[in-house]
Amino acid sequence: MAIPGLEVFQSSASLRGTGSALRQLPVVSKLIDTSTCIGCKACEVACQEWNDLPNAKTVQDGSYQTLPTMTADFWNLIKFHEVDVDGSFNWLMRKDQCMHCADPGCLKACPAPGAIVQYSNGIVDVNPDQCIGCRLCETGCPFDVPRFSEKTGKMSKCTLCVDRTSVGLEPACVKACPTGCLHFGTKTNMQAMGNERVKQLKADGYVNAGLYDPAGVGGTGVITVLKHADKPELYGLPRDPKVPKSVRFVKSYLRPLGLLGIGAVVVGLVGHYLRYGPRVPPKGPPPPAPPPVA
Amino acid sequence: MAESLRAVPAHSTADPGILAAQAQEDLVVGEEIVRFRYYTRMVHWGVALTFFLCLFTGLPIWTPIFGWMAPLFGGLQVCRWLHPWTGIAFSVFALLQFVHWAGEMKRTAADKRFTKLKNFLAYMRWEYHDDEVGKFNGGQKSLFWLSSLAALGLLATGVVLWWPNYFSNPFREASWVLHDVTFVLFFLLVLGHIYLSIAEPGTFAGMVRGTVTKAWARLHHPAWYRDVTGERRR
Repeated sequence: MAIPGLEVFQSSASLRGTGSALRQLPVVSKLIDTSTCIGCKACEVACQEWNDLPNAKTVQDGSYQTLPTMTADFWNLIKFHEVDVDGSFNWLMRKDQCMHCADPGCLKACPAPGAIVQYSNGIVDVNPDQCIGCRLCETGCPFDVPRFSEKTGKMSKCTLCVDRTSVGLEPACVKACPTGCLHFGTKTNMQAMGNERVKQLKADGYVNAGLYDPAGVGGTGVITVLKHADKPELYGLPRDPKVPKSVRFVKSYLRPLGLLGIGAVVVGLVGHYLRYGPRVPPKGPPPPAPPPVA
Repeated sequence: MAESLRAVPAHSTADPGILAAQAQEDLVVGEEIVRFRYYTRMVHWGVALTFFLCLFTGLPIWTPIFGWMAPLFGGLQVCRWLHPWTGIAFSVFALLQFVHWAGEMKRTAADKRFTKLKNFLAYMRWEYHDDEVGKFNGGQKSLFWLSSLAALGLLATGVVLWWPNYFSNPFREASWVLHDVTFVLFFLLVLGHIYLSIAEPGTFAGMVRGTVTKAWARLHHPAWYRDVTGERRR
């Protein structure tokens, strides 16, 4: 949803956003401390309620997870991972949602001008009125977040409650979280808070604890404290997420080169016509046929 | 049907060339030769029309520089909805064209000479002549095989882009890149094809009216001309 008053920093399929980029806002972030998540799903409910999304029919797949995966009308899913780490059983929970990358692959991939925007505070948002439902954002996203709705023919995902955060409220999930494992503020503050928590965890013996803020996508607007940050795969997080090379190749090289090639050929053909002109068949009667060979 | 159409009364003003081009090809009618009968032309223009529908619905999705084309169809969302279907229509016509022409497109020794770079460049300077060029020259045959291959590639990658949830990400990425690369190369070929039909007068008319002049046939397709007219080599 487009938020009036919040400047667009960059916009899909457009050279610039609609903003002047003069009104600078601090980049905001959500901090998720997975070590204090109890898996209560209050955030899931709050997300559905605030965003006016329908109740989801839960799917029992042998774990405590609400659904196997996020859907077009379920944007925030606590993933339950039961894993053995260093010989001990662990129950690792993670909040699966849009990561609000600083360098968003979905926005890069999107061919519809203005369908995916990044506001000046770093939030990545979808404008359904511009979305053409081509699903290329799914290919661009390294976190498998965008969901295509068969009902609306459009993409949808977490907005970081841009309609709340732009008026000074925290996202609905943060408001609902009973253990205080979710925090919202400027990215600088959230990083400081996260690093503080990492220090505590390390002191508690989790030597591999760390803050998941992958540099491959320019850092994310949703940063996560992990007890086992050396193995993000345990949480279902990619180790080194990047905008796919193919997406960058198509958008940054193939299309400019293709345009240049097509333009050069058109100019070349016009030049050829001016230089050589039309090839007109000779007028008048044809030369006589040679006599038949005896 | 064609026979009865051609048997027109003496006072009719119907064009004998046009009538002759209904059902048969490679037929001499006065100073003209029927090169492409009605079905051939319908298939060719079916391919061309659906190609341009694909092009104009696809270009605004390809880059916003061509965004001004989207309103021709009712906006970008309509383009996105229409493009796969115009692609299906294009594939159908491309298949009909392939079946129709594949037999006539076998490469001969003359065609292999034609597609040597040196000879092709000489051709583009209007300096190349080969008495053995038949109904289609080496360039036209290459265009036929390459555009058939491109149609197949665009269909295969297009299906993946249309139904991405049935394919894994590497497939989607490869299809995206290949759909783009194939489109660009194919479009360059088509530009050349259109250009030569204009720069060599009589060619475009051959595909519209179905007939070409004897002088055109002698210049561009001498071996075909000899076959059709029964004239000897000059």
